[in-house]
Amino acid sequence: MDGIHDMGGMHGFGPVDRQNDYAFRADWQRKAFGIVEALAGVVPFNADMHRQALERISAEEYLRHDYFEKWVMATETLLLQAGLVNESELKSGKKEFDVDMTNRTAAGPKELVAAFIAGVPLEFPAESQPARFQVGQSVRVTVNNPSHHTRVPRYLRGRIGTITHDAGVFQFADTVATGKGQCPQHCYTVMFSARDLWGESSEPGDIIFADLAEPYLALA
Amino acid sequence: MSDHHHDESTHHHHDHDEIEKGAALRVRAIEELMIAKGLINPEAVDAIVEYYERETGPRNGAAIVAKAWTDPAYREWLLNDGTAAINSLGFSGFQGEHIIVLENTEKVHNVVVCTLCSCYPWPVLGLPPAWYKNPAYRARIVREPRAVIAEFGYDVPAEVEVRVWDSTAEIRYLVIPQRPDGTEKATVEELAAMVTRDGMIGTARL
Repeated sequence: MDGIHDMGGMHGFGPVDRQNDYAFRADWQRKAFGIVEALAGVVPFNADMHRQALERISAEEYLRHDYFEKWVMATETLLLQAGLVNESELKSGKKEFDVDMTNRTAAGPKELVAAFIAGVPLEFPAESQPARFQVGQSVRVTVNNPSHHTRVPRYLRGRIGTITHDAGVFQFADTVATGKGQCPQHCYTVMFSARDLWGESSEPGDIIFADLAEPYLALA
Repeated sequence: MSDHHHDESTHHHHDHDEIEKGAALRVRAIEELMIAKGLINPEAVDAIVEYYERETGPRNGAAIVAKAWTDPAYREWLLNDGTAAINSLGFSGFQGEHIIVLENTEKVHNVVVCTLCSCYPWPVLGLPPAWYKNPAYRARIVREPRAVIAEFGYDVPAEVEVRVWDSTAEIRYLVIPQRPDGTEKATVEELAAMVTRDGMIGTARL
C-alpha cells in the first residue's frame, strides 16, 4: 500500500526526537498495548492484518495520532470487521450486544504471557519451496503498487540490488494480511548501494539492506 | 478587550492535550467494552504489560553482547545462528523468533530500522523507544544514516562503511557494538553494564 506509513527516505520530519526515549510515557499507552495484544488471539488477528489496518488510517490521522492510539484504532477496525462491535459501542464504551464466545476464549494472565514467550515462528522448512534466486544474483524489485498490505518500501521499488542471503521460507505478508493464507515464500536479504538510491549525497560504499519476499523480485 | 493572541507553542500545547485526552478516552472506552463483552481478561492485560516491562529490556541484549565479546565460540554461534545462540541464554519469544546478529567493527558500522512500521527485537531489547517508531527516524536513517548517527553523538569516519538494515520482513536484527578500548580486564558483568540500547540498535558507539 502506497501510504504515509511508508516513510523511508521522506524529507520534512525534522530532527530525530531522541529525547522520546521511553517505551511508554502514560498508563493509557500501557493499557493500549496490553489490550491489543490480549485481543489478537481472540478476534482473532495476526500482525500483518493489524499492520494493514494501521496503514489504512488516513495520512493526516496517521501523523497526528500517537503510536499506541493508532494501535487501538487499527484494532477497532479489526473488531468491526469481525462483527464483534459496532461504531456506537466503540464511541461510548458501552456494550449494546453480546458476542458469541463459543469458539473464543479470553486468555488468562499466565496463558497470554506464555503465548508471548513461545512466540509465533513464521518460518517453514527451507526445502518446502524451491528457491527461484540465489545468493550473489542481481535482482530488481518489481514495480507493484497494491492497495493492500505489502512489505516493499516505496524507496526500493524498481531498484536493483544483490542478494546476500537466503533467509529461509516464511509466510507471505500480502496474502496473510488479506486472509488469503500463508503462501510460503523464500525471503532474500538484498543489498542496495546508497548512492544508487539517493545520489551523490550518500557516501560511496554505504549500503542499505532489506529483506524481500520472492514475489517482490525479478532477475535484473 | 481580552488579549486573544496565542503564540504557536500554546496552540501546539492545546492540540497535543486534545490528542492525549482523546487517546486516553479511546483506550478507556475500548477497555470497558472489551471487558463487558468478555473478550479480554483485565488481569491478562496487566500481566502482559508487566512481562514486557520487567522481563525484557536492553539488559538482555547487553548480556548477549558481553558474552560475545568474551567468548569467541559464542560470538561465532551468534553470528551464524542468532536465534539459537540467543535462545540458549533463555531469551525467546514474540518478535524474536528469527534474529540475525550484526557486528560493528573498525571497518563496518551497522544500524537497524523498520521504515514501514516499528519492527524491533523485543525479547532482547524490550519494547522500542518512541523515537525509533516515529517518522523522523524511519524516514531519515535510510537516506542519511551518518547525519542521524552524528545527532546521537558519533561521527562515523568516512572510511567506515555504514550499513542500514531495514527490517522489512520477519527477521529482527541485533547489533553487537564495538567493545570499548581498555576493557581487557573488565568482568562480563562490568562489560554488560557498558552496553547501551542505542549501541545495539546501531545509532551509537559505546
